[in-house]
Amino acid sequence: MSVDGKIGLDILSRQVAYSGEGISVKTLEAEIHEERTVQDNKVGELKELRERNVEIAGAMTEELKKLRKFSDYLDGTATKDGFWAGFKEIMSFIPGLRSLSISQRSIEELLKQQYQVSARRVKEAAEYVDHLKQSEQDLYKEIDRINVKIVEMAKNEQVALDYVLELRELETELKAQEQAVNAGSVEARDIQAQIDKVFARLSEHSSNVQLYGSAEERYVSLKANTRKLLETIRNLGQDIQQYTTAASIKLDMASAQIQAIGRAADASVVMLEMKRSLDVMTESMNVTTQFVSDTQVFFRSNLDTLMDELDTFDETTTKVLDENLAKSREIEEQRIQAAIDKAMRKSEGGGAEAPEAAPGA
Amino acid sequence: MSLVAFNTQQLAPADAERYLKILERSLRSARLNNSFPDRRRLSGTVKALQRAFEHEIYDQLYLDSRVGLPNMASFTRVVTDQEMAADSLSRMSDRTELERRRDEAPIFARMADKHDYYSWLLEQELAPVDLHRVLLRRHDPSSGSASFRIELTKLDGSGLYMHLTIELTQVASAWRRKVVDLDEDGESAAANEAFRTLIYRCAALDAESLFIRLHGIEGVTVERVARGIIGPLLFRLPTVGGGVVTTLEPEGHLGTLWQHWLAGDGASATGPEVLATFASDVAAGDIREEKSNDPLAPLLSSVIEDKERRRYQAMRERYPFKVFKDRKFVATRGLKGLVKVLGDAAGTRNLVYDLRLPRGG
Repeated sequence: MSVDGKIGLDILSRQVAYSGEGISVKTLEAEIHEERTVQDNKVGELKELRERNVEIAGAMTEELKKLRKFSDYLDGTATKDGFWAGFKEIMSFIPGLRSLSISQRSIEELLKQQYQVSARRVKEAAEYVDHLKQSEQDLYKEIDRINVKIVEMAKNEQVALDYVLELRELETELKAQEQAVNAGSVEARDIQAQIDKVFARLSEHSSNVQLYGSAEERYVSLKANTRKLLETIRNLGQDIQQYTTAASIKLDMASAQIQAIGRAADASVVMLEMKRSLDVMTESMNVTTQFVSDTQVFFRSNLDTLMDELDTFDETTTKVLDENLAKSREIEEQRIQAAIDKAMRKSEGGGAEAPEAAPGA
Repeated sequence: MSLVAFNTQQLAPADAERYLKILERSLRSARLNNSFPDRRRLSGTVKALQRAFEHEIYDQLYLDSRVGLPNMASFTRVVTDQEMAADSLSRMSDRTELERRRDEAPIFARMADKHDYYSWLLEQELAPVDLHRVLLRRHDPSSGSASFRIELTKLDGSGLYMHLTIELTQVASAWRRKVVDLDEDGESAAANEAFRTLIYRCAALDAESLFIRLHGIEGVTVERVARGIIGPLLFRLPTVGGGVVTTLEPEGHLGTLWQHWLAGDGASATGPEVLATFASDVAAGDIREEKSNDPLAPLLSSVIEDKERRRYQAMRERYPFKVFKDRKFVATRGLKGLVKVLGDAAGTRNLVYDLRLPRGG
């Protein structure tokens, strides 16, 4: 009731200021769908990455097989009939050479071609890193946008709640006044008419309370999943970057050796050097193959589930993402810990770094 | 700059950019004819590497430490980039969009730069690591003879970049295996695998040896063998930080002179100093006088041991050709003296093109 004792009916005619466009079940669904599309696209990109990853994996496995065999034969461990018998056999692994004798191809040329193929494979894998980083940024932006929506929904819910409370108070006052006047009198009818108006407004804005509240929750849930997707993409990008950088450095370092050994092999000399050079190249391929294999396991175990379940934001999705993230976090924490340990060692040793344990040691 | 792997030295980006400018100028100054590797394509590779450094695509340039030229890893990098450019561009966001987001996160600036680099690279002609070509010169079906020019461009295991041209005539017969096969139209040709490999393997031999080796093949008459070789390129570049970078492991007589120069006059040089060599070596029937004007490569006849001389002369009498070797230089002022010392000692008079560089390189 107002200070002068009159009931504040102006509440009924007040324009309630919600920010954004008006909300309805339909518009809310449309907006959520739009946000979800961004997630779907990112998952689609991951799917494509998986497919190309499989292609590269297949090719790399073949190349590694060739190089390993080559290396084994040069080592003399893979054949009973001497080096050249083994050498001839290994050459048959190279396309187009099955029917040719060894003397018909230059080892230098073959190794250079193999080097170029390997360099391309590593670079193809490395290209994913930039795409994943861009996706990561897109998702950060998406989270910003969702946050704006969450704040907007929360504010609107509060506006609706405040208004509903005011209406409830007005309704109580009107009902009390109704008791104070004669039933069936003009005043009573007038008050009842006002109560009906209040009810209609209450109905409209309590519905808004629900809609904005629900929208806020759904955006919060969407944000949580977007964040998980983002972290997944970021971790994958970091892993690929590590593997491809290592493989690329090894290839860069091995190029002169490979070329020199190819030349030496063509002159039918320095076979032990040849073996050593090929080991360097094999090592590079090992690093890259390890990356491909690891990421494939990742895809196999996570991506299909992620895609199937993402539609419903259900518990399975959350669990899968949580498990994946927990694993990634564990690895990241280990990495951070390793870096801290290293820094500590360095600091304690006055700049002289203690040797690191070999991987797998 | 440091030696980072077998025959491999590394230049940091600032040094790499200055080195590439010098390499480009040296190539242009040398006025190479078509007996050398295609200068346009080699310049294309140098420019591609320059672009890559401008756009921060790479963190280092790898050179062959014996000859001071980009090594196989460097040649392969840009070739691989070009092979992947179209596919990578198709996966990237629109260039305008990347530009719009340039300040949003470093990845967008990187992607925009990469977009520019790949778009530019698509249009370039790059130097191949290896390239074989067989060109038909004449075909006379009535006599069954055909003349060919066989060309091989090769980044040799020595680190030098070379071009080999062989002109030969082949007389075909039913019982004789042909080294070059003509297609049914008699318009295009391809060397058979064994012959192609023979040439590839023997590309490092001098023209005289190669002529004799090929002329010995039944049904083949060699008319001309010509080699054009780019390198070594010896450099001494002051760095921005006050240090000096040099070609680290030059070999042979030139390498020894270079080391002496570095320790002597070179030690007080203030600007960049460069000595690039471009050798040509021809064995052909139409050469009037057998001569070597290459201070680093005397004629075989002048160095052959006495006990072998008779056999050598008998062989030469069987083959109607003469040899001419030459070497031209591109040098900065400080190194012209070294070329003169070389020439005076060997009794040669060599072309020396002036290389003028700004003091900063």
